Amino acid sequence: MEQAVHLDGITKRFPGVVANDDVDLAVEKGTVHALLGENGAGKTTLMNVLYGLYRPTEGRVVVHGEERHFDSPRDAIDEGVGMIHQHFMLVDPMTVAENITLGNEPRKWLGLTVDRTTARQQVVELAERYGFDIDPDARIEDVGVGVQQRVEILKALYRGADVLILDEPTAVLTPQEVEDLFRVLEELTEQGKTIIFITHKLGEAMTAADEITVLREGKNVGTVPADDITREELAEMMVGREVLLDVDRSPTEPGRTVLDVEDLVVEDDRGVRAVDGLSLDVRQGEVLGIAGVDGNGQSELIEAITGLRTPDEGRIEVDDVDRTTDSRRSRIEAGMAYVPEDRQERGLVMEYDLVENGLLGSQHAEEYASNGRIDWERTRGHAEEIIEEYDVRPPDADAEAESLSGGNQQKFVVGREFARDPRLVVASHPTRGVDVGSMEFIHDRLNGLREDGRAVLLVSSNLDEVQSLSDRLAVIYEGEFVDIVDPDAVTEEQLGLLMAGQEPDEVPSIAAAGEVGP
Amino acid sequence: MTDDGLVDSLRSASGRLLIAGVAVLALLVLGVAGLVAPDSTAGRLFFVLASKSTLAATLRLSVPIVFAALGGIFAEKSGVINIGLEGLLIISAFSAIYGADVTGSLWAGFFVGILSSTLLAALFAVVCIEFRADQIIAGLAVWLIALGLAPFASSVFYGGPNTTNVGTLDTITIEGLASIPFFGAFFDASPAVHLMLIAVLVSWYVLNRTTFGRWVRAAGENPKALDTAGVDVSRVRYAAVLLSGVLSGMGGAALAFNIGQFTGNGPTMVNGKGFIAIVAYLFGNYNPVGALLSTALFAGLDATQLRLQTADVIAVPDSLVQTIPFVAVILVLALVGRTRLPEAAGDHYESGEE
Repeated sequence: MEQAVHLDGITKRFPGVVANDDVDLAVEKGTVHALLGENGAGKTTLMNVLYGLYRPTEGRVVVHGEERHFDSPRDAIDEGVGMIHQHFMLVDPMTVAENITLGNEPRKWLGLTVDRTTARQQVVELAERYGFDIDPDARIEDVGVGVQQRVEILKALYRGADVLILDEPTAVLTPQEVEDLFRVLEELTEQGKTIIFITHKLGEAMTAADEITVLREGKNVGTVPADDITREELAEMMVGREVLLDVDRSPTEPGRTVLDVEDLVVEDDRGVRAVDGLSLDVRQGEVLGIAGVDGNGQSELIEAITGLRTPDEGRIEVDDVDRTTDSRRSRIEAGMAYVPEDRQERGLVMEYDLVENGLLGSQHAEEYASNGRIDWERTRGHAEEIIEEYDVRPPDADAEAESLSGGNQQKFVVGREFARDPRLVVASHPTRGVDVGSMEFIHDRLNGLREDGRAVLLVSSNLDEVQSLSDRLAVIYEGEFVDIVDPDAVTEEQLGLLMAGQEPDEVPSIAAAGEVGP
Repeated sequence: MTDDGLVDSLRSASGRLLIAGVAVLALLVLGVAGLVAPDSTAGRLFFVLASKSTLAATLRLSVPIVFAALGGIFAEKSGVINIGLEGLLIISAFSAIYGADVTGSLWAGFFVGILSSTLLAALFAVVCIEFRADQIIAGLAVWLIALGLAPFASSVFYGGPNTTNVGTLDTITIEGLASIPFFGAFFDASPAVHLMLIAVLVSWYVLNRTTFGRWVRAAGENPKALDTAGVDVSRVRYAAVLLSGVLSGMGGAALAFNIGQFTGNGPTMVNGKGFIAIVAYLFGNYNPVGALLSTALFAGLDATQLRLQTADVIAVPDSLVQTIPFVAVILVLALVGRTRLPEAAGDHYESGEE
């Protein structure tokens, strides 16, 4: 078979770091190739070399049998290599057709004016050819993420790409949208296009790809056909040791209610009811998981519970004490730990070192500060404990938070919050951006807190995560719970429908009395 | 395809509609009162408002504001907030007079005015785009440079903050049409007024129908999308900022030739028109036609207060009447709420950043 792309001995060095170390990658034409690895394994760097964003320190880039030197993405596009980034590069107020043709507009009248009729027609024809269902006149800001992704793919195709690189394409999609995407990829390969997709999710690589190449610490660990390898084998290739994929969750007997939320209404910044009359309770020794597509009120709910946003209606009780309007400080002192969804925005002060960051939230605690003076020795010891226990790298308490990689920042935040000896843990995407090994560790600690009789409220867009950790799983849609289900009995497909606001038949609903309304 | 400008203005229309509605209603009440009792205060006010000379004054006062607003739209749509419009108006107003004085031709002076304003805008562009300076501070610097430089140059060449008088542009009068009541003002006006109306239409077309306009909007919304499409974001932004210099230059020159000289005392003859232009294009939601209409509102109130001072219609102190346009600006800003700024306005962009 013909090779569409051949990366031959690629090494890419940045000052002080070797991101890719003598990596070979051969991708056959008309196939889907998954590039699998943990965060920081060098997947995106390798693809940026192929896409012309970086020049390799050593090695050759061969596209369709010829060696190429790409100085910019423009060069790569000219040779038929297109990339769809994790963050879409779309202009929100413009239409689908305008976005697809941007920069390559068909013109008329001395080349000054956009030929909008032709542009629209070209887009319609392109969409039809690849079986995309898309409205060329819809504005980007009015369509969903799945459609936006298809627009990105069409954009690359419009510019003549026949090798498509997708960077973590499923991160923002619902399970149904992921299925649609995989169907689109199949259609594209049938028409002779070649797909490379970057992912750290084992299941996806196995479902969608023909071949899988695993990268670890910048090196190619191996390329295997997707059909004859198991998840466990893949995980071991990624991490370099055996990994427990499923949390070993022993049954607990939930105790008394710790967090009780009644008829909560929270408006978002635009004054829209993001949380619309929602009630929930979390008991000792249980994890209540909340699943849902991002932007359905999860953030506002968490912010209201943790005291970062004032609810407009409803009550929030912790241990039978009304905390609806309490300050952050008194909530922390009441035993509430909080892992925020955006570690850089809310979890850390990026310019502080880890000693100072480890103190955040405890700055009033007697243990670390008395009479307005901070006990720095004790504070440092505290930070060093977190660093050691959570394997934060580099293990340097004096390092500024911003010098750490995202995964290590996350480990530090999680470590600090779990070290509070909390009654209630509110965790929002606790493993976002961390690799499989650290994920396993954080899951283990979260489960440990649960078995220790703490109450845990967990929000995550990672379905595997909420499903394997939760005792009860609530699905949120447009600010309300659609249902609360048994995470061990619900299927991914049923969850997908619930997340889209639909109530499928025969859902293993375990709604506690009066706690769920649609 | 949908009409971008129209949909945009409809989306954020509620506050704007409210203001437009109040204005129309007030005019209707005045009109009825005027017809019923021509001798009442309301009646006299109506006849002031409905007179051809009020419209003529409104158009005349609109010219520099509209030109500067059009310039501001291009710059800000491309992602560079140009609050130095005031400075561009000042420098071009002086240069136009000086150019006309030296060459003896008003149109040559007009060109000199545009040139100087474009040069100052180019300096601003280099500082903001190449050296990534804060756009607001650089914009203030443009204003302060012009505010100091123009009266200083005037002192050097003319021995004082005010220049000599070089004469005004001849008005274009179309016999017959000019005598239509009220609307006749359009046919008996300075060529600058016609230039302004043409500039508004051309600007709308360029922004919404040409490839350049599309790139300008993309550069201000998501420069990365434009960059990955193979268009140089910096070049688009340079072009847009230079264009804001050209347009403001036309405004400043037209302002100067309206009187025939440059007066440089205090805030100079420009006297905040560049800042009102910013309000005008925000109120007009970055739509050139919207900017023209909102300018007409401010300029109309200004023209009215000028007439009220002389016409002795109502017994209100002049100094109070003079505040009407500014009170209107504040009211408008409070009622309209927020205009949606281009997503990347004020942000630096460098290609290849990850």
